[in-house]
Amino acid sequence: MSAILTFWHKEWLAAWRNYHILILAVIFVIFGIEAPLMAKLMPDLMKLALGDQFSIKLPQSTSSDSWQQFYKNTSQIGIFLLALVFSGTVSQEVSSGTLVNLITKGLPRYAVIIAKYLAAVVQWVVAIGVSFIITWGYTAYYFPDDKSPHVWLAIWPVLLFGLFFVAVVLLGSTVVNSNYAGFLVAALVFASLALLNYVKAVKRWNPIALVTDNLDLVRGTEKITHILPACGVTVAAALVILGVTIWTFNQKRL
Amino acid sequence: MTILDLQRVTKRFGDKQVLKGLDLTVPTGAIFGFVGENGAGKTTTMKLILGLDTLDGGQITVAGQPVRYGRAVANQVVGYLPDVPAYYGYMTSTEYLTLCGRLTGMREPDLSNRITEMLRTVDLPQNKHRIHGFSRGMKQRLGIAQALLNRPQLLICDEPTSALDPNGRSEFLKLLASLRGEMTILFSTHILTDVERISDQVGILHAGVLQVQGNLTALKHRYARSQVQLKFASSAIAQQAVAVMGRPATQTATHVAVPFQDDYAATVAAVLKALLAAHVVPLAVDRQETSLEDIFREVTT
Repeated sequence: MSAILTFWHKEWLAAWRNYHILILAVIFVIFGIEAPLMAKLMPDLMKLALGDQFSIKLPQSTSSDSWQQFYKNTSQIGIFLLALVFSGTVSQEVSSGTLVNLITKGLPRYAVIIAKYLAAVVQWVVAIGVSFIITWGYTAYYFPDDKSPHVWLAIWPVLLFGLFFVAVVLLGSTVVNSNYAGFLVAALVFASLALLNYVKAVKRWNPIALVTDNLDLVRGTEKITHILPACGVTVAAALVILGVTIWTFNQKRL
Repeated sequence: MTILDLQRVTKRFGDKQVLKGLDLTVPTGAIFGFVGENGAGKTTTMKLILGLDTLDGGQITVAGQPVRYGRAVANQVVGYLPDVPAYYGYMTSTEYLTLCGRLTGMREPDLSNRITEMLRTVDLPQNKHRIHGFSRGMKQRLGIAQALLNRPQLLICDEPTSALDPNGRSEFLKLLASLRGEMTILFSTHILTDVERISDQVGILHAGVLQVQGNLTALKHRYARSQVQLKFASSAIAQQAVAVMGRPATQTATHVAVPFQDDYAATVAAVLKALLAAHVVPLAVDRQETSLEDIFREVTT
C-alpha cells in the first residue's frame, strides 16, 4: 500500500510538471463553457448563416440542447483526449528505463499499474466532473426550464465508463512499446463496441451505452435501470482488464 | 562469508545461450571486478541478481536470501547503478532521492538527513534544478547517490565508468575505492585498468561461464608470465638479438620479449652478456609484469 501511495504521488507530480493537468483543465473548462453557450447562440448563428431569404421559424433552444452538446463533446472528443494523454503512461517508462531503479529498490510491479490506473481514473473523474459542473451552472442560468430533469443521474455512467476505458488504455500501453499504443487500442475497442451496439440483443449489456444513452437519461425518456447490466459489465471488464495488465507487466522485461 | 552466490546459472535469449552454468561467489567486503567483453552477459547476470529477469536454471542468493524474479526481498540490501541511469527529468535530485528512499522503506527525518549527506558526498547541489538539465557526469553522480541511499550491503554497478570522461572516471573510481570496508561492491567493466586500480577480487566472464575467479594478486601469480622487454634500433638488429640470445624470445618489430620464471636480475645479466658478446646493444631494457590484460587474453583465447 505504501509503495502504491509513493508511486501515486510521483504520478501526480508527473501530471503536474508535464502540464497534463493544465492541458486537461483548459480543454474541459472550454467544453463546459462551450456546450451551453453554443446551445444559446445556435438560433442566432443559424439566422445569420441562412440570411433573410429563408423564413423558417427556428425552435427556441432548451437545456436539453445544452446537454446534448455536452455529451457530444464528452463522448466524441473528451474521452479520446484523455486516452491520448494517458496513452504512453507505461510504454514510455519501459522504453526510457526509468522504472529499473525503482523496481530494484523494492517497488512491486503491480503497484506501478495500480497507481497509474488510480491516478488516471481520478484525472478522468475530475476533468469530466469540472466540465459537467460548469455546464450545469451555465445551463441553469441560460435555460431555466424543466426539459432536463435528471442531469445529475446522467453523468454517473460516463464517470463509470472511465474505469473501463482507462484500463483499456493502460493495457494497450503495457502490451505494445509505443507511446500511441494505448490510444490506438482504446480507439479500436471503442469502435468495436460501437459496432457491437448494432446487435440488439447485447445493447443493454454493452459498456458503450454508458456514453451514448446519457441524453435520454437527462430527459427522463430512459431509466437508469435500463443500462444497469451495461454498468455491471463495465465494472467487471475493467477489473479483468486491470488484472490482465498487471499480469502482462509482470512478464515484461525492463 | 559470501554476500552473493550464483550457482549453475543459465539464461537463454532465443537461440543464444548467454549464460551456460555460471558459478560466481563474491566474498563480503570485496571490491569485485566483473570483467568480460561486450555482449559476454555481464548486464544479463546483473539483471538476474536484481530479480529484473527470469532465471532459466540455477540459483542466486544475496545475503543468504534467494533471489526470485519480481520479488523485492533481496533488493532491500542491494544498491544498483545502471550503466546509463534513467531518471524523471521533471524532478529535482532531492525529489528523486526522496522517491527512492521511500520505496526502500526509509522514513523522515532519517531520509532527509541521508539525502543531504549523499548529495554532499557526490558533490551535487541541493537546489531546485530539475534533472533534465543535468550533464552526464551529474546524472552518474546522482546514480551513485540513489544506489548508496539506503546503505546497501551490496553495491552493483554496471559499466559505471563507460560513459564518463577521464576526470569523471578517476573521480568515480576514487569514490568506489573510498567505500571499501563499508560495503561489498560488484562492478562490471571491460576497462581492465579500472579493475586493476581498485579491485581486490576479479572474475572473467567468457563464453557464458566464469573462466577464472579469485584474488587479483593470486591470479597474477598463477598466470605469471613476467618478461624482460628489450628495444633495439631496428628490426634487423632485434632479429639478430633473438638469434644470439640462446633462449626463448619473441620479436615484435624492434622489440624482443624474453620470458623469465625466477630472478629478473640474473635473467637480464645473462641476456645482456650474450648480446654484448655478439656486439648487439639494446636501446632500452625494461621489466614487464603480468597484467590483468595478459590473464584476460590467456583465459579468453
